[in-house]
Amino acid sequence: MLKQAIMNGLNTLVLAAASDGGLGGAIKDLLNRASVPQIFVPLMAIGLIVALLTYRVWTKPKIAGLLGLGFIGFYLWSATDENFFKIIVKPDNVPITIMLTAMAIVTWVAFRQAAINDRRIERGEPLIESGADDKVLVWPDLVYTEMICLVLCTIALVVWAILLKAPLEPAANPTNIPNPSKAPWYFLGLQELLVYFDPWIAGVLLPGFIILGLVALPYIDKNPRGNGYYTFSQRKMVIWVFMFGWIILWVALIVLGTFLRGPNWNIFGPYETWDAHRPAALLNVNVSDLFWVVLPEKTGLWNPGLPKEPMWGLPTWLVREGPGLMVLGAYFFILPVVLAKSVCAKLYKDLGLIRYAVFWLLMSWMILVPIKMVLRWLFNLKYFVAITEYFFNI
Amino acid sequence: MATKQLVTKVWIDPGCIICDACETTAPSVFEVQHENDTCIIRPAALDAEFTKPLSKDIVEAAEECPVDVIKFDTIEVEVSDAEAAADAAKKPAAGAAGAAAGDAPAKLDPPKPKEVDPAIQALLEATTVRGGNVVLDRGLEDMPDSVKRMAKLSPTELPPDARQAKVLDKAKPDKKDADGPSRRDLLGAGALGAGWLAMATVGGVSTLAFARFMAPNVLEVEDPKVRCGPLSKYSAMATGEVNEDFKPVKPSGFWIIRQEDRIAALSIICTHLGCIPSWLPNDRKFKCPCHGSGFKENGVNFEGPAPRPLERFKIYLDGDEVIVDRSKKILAMGPNDTAKWNDPEAYIPV
Repeated sequence: MLKQAIMNGLNTLVLAAASDGGLGGAIKDLLNRASVPQIFVPLMAIGLIVALLTYRVWTKPKIAGLLGLGFIGFYLWSATDENFFKIIVKPDNVPITIMLTAMAIVTWVAFRQAAINDRRIERGEPLIESGADDKVLVWPDLVYTEMICLVLCTIALVVWAILLKAPLEPAANPTNIPNPSKAPWYFLGLQELLVYFDPWIAGVLLPGFIILGLVALPYIDKNPRGNGYYTFSQRKMVIWVFMFGWIILWVALIVLGTFLRGPNWNIFGPYETWDAHRPAALLNVNVSDLFWVVLPEKTGLWNPGLPKEPMWGLPTWLVREGPGLMVLGAYFFILPVVLAKSVCAKLYKDLGLIRYAVFWLLMSWMILVPIKMVLRWLFNLKYFVAITEYFFNI
Repeated sequence: MATKQLVTKVWIDPGCIICDACETTAPSVFEVQHENDTCIIRPAALDAEFTKPLSKDIVEAAEECPVDVIKFDTIEVEVSDAEAAADAAKKPAAGAAGAAAGDAPAKLDPPKPKEVDPAIQALLEATTVRGGNVVLDRGLEDMPDSVKRMAKLSPTELPPDARQAKVLDKAKPDKKDADGPSRRDLLGAGALGAGWLAMATVGGVSTLAFARFMAPNVLEVEDPKVRCGPLSKYSAMATGEVNEDFKPVKPSGFWIIRQEDRIAALSIICTHLGCIPSWLPNDRKFKCPCHGSGFKENGVNFEGPAPRPLERFKIYLDGDEVIVDRSKKILAMGPNDTAKWNDPEAYIPV
């Protein structure tokens, strides 16, 4: 009886939230509209910028608590939506909720400490870490802590394993393909990259650069400040870069892949029904198309049409992709030099040639990702360089 | 003239039980090597001139040896009466009675039975050998006090007789049979069994590997040619229609598409990362569920990341029957590189 009453109540709630217009409907509609990537990702970026600029405000425990409660409330309210609920209770997606919570907590802890330390540095007071005796006895402190963690984790995993079925699917069958076909949640950021890049870039080069970059970090950045204590004001640039790479290029893309990618890999709002038959037409063009076809059609400077024959002793593909290669060459090789002479002169002086070159190699690829995404969303740009003959597309 | 025996050569027969008795008596001659489970004659003692002065000790050690494996050669030499008398006087009282007499030659006495302390005798009777170890089998409650006292002592603290008695007991040749196989025997048999098992495994696996190596190296593949039925079936399709009958064909399926003047076979593998797109009849396009690549109804890529149009397979007529040959692909390198599709192998005119 009680169970039925609760179910009835929930049903009423879900129906009311899903059907009525009202304030809830208006908010959902707004969020659905804002979830196209050309709005969603810039919104995330703006949110990150605002958060980093105001880190001393939102790290105050009361404000952080209010924000946390607000987020939990929003999440629970969203869960009353049928479509959103379907997404978050999929066994494969349950960890997303955990990840978002955990990400918020660890970020808050780090920035809270940094905010306190930065204020103390300004006032000339000792840091949180100074004078702290962080020696811990292995027995009993460490061993007990580890044992309690072990027991709790085991219990959590057992309960999780009992409550949720493993998200396994039937044997592969070419006539019955899951639509959308999604990677495990932690790879959805990489799968999103595959929408914009060749497999060898999105699946090999970029993940490789992430690992390489993390390994190279202590060699590129030899600034001793911030060693052993939390600070933001003393390490502004590296923390900005890291937070951008982590929050936008990793977490936001996972959220995008989980909540916003639907059938046929089309974008759906978090409260929209996944309609596999919703038409969504795009017409992607390469830089070579723009240069050899669209530009002359608009201006009449030369005859529209991609080059089909070798010209000037160069193979066809080199002539065809020449404009894109020049754009990319300028981006990868000329831009860093120009920056070293102008905006980044001080950085170049600090790092020296080799470390500056490595730094810009990594940074170029990191920045190329959002550039390419924005160009795809706004101008339907497919590839800068499309040498399909050798599977070399960027 | 009196004579006496001098040891010129000493050796140890097999059967030593490593009991330390000889080394205690004649440490310059014998060396017990517990780490090697053996007892050796020290190298210096291999010389007759070295052993002669030590004859008495060597003989005594041979007598004491519980398993009687110490053997020696002797020569008889003449000694002055006075010397013989002095020797005899030095002998302990327990020595042979005859040795005291100056006229009798100092013959070596045969080993005589030891006198055993009765308390030790009782202790020995209370013990038994089990698994190579001497243990007290019964309780000590009703034993005499001397036995209880003795039982508390370690073997090295026991008087020499007791030690010898224990050693004798340990050296009983039939103790294994009496108490069943020892741990050492079991372990040895186990190791041997494991060794044979390992050898059999290696032998078996390598035999199988050899058999596989000798088998003909043929890769079982599906026939690349697929018979698709009469041409009329496809010429009856409306322009732009897609036949999905051969999508599940292994190892790579295909669609047969109907265009205005021809039919052609499109591979179902997306040119981006190899997923299988779905045909969406309402949108007139093939759409990949993995990364959103879209292909028009003629296979030309137009949205998403796919760099090339869908690949086409060779298609031809055998009489009236349509055959698709998947061993030959007709590749277009981009949306504008479709002239290759006019190759006569790439389509059947309708």
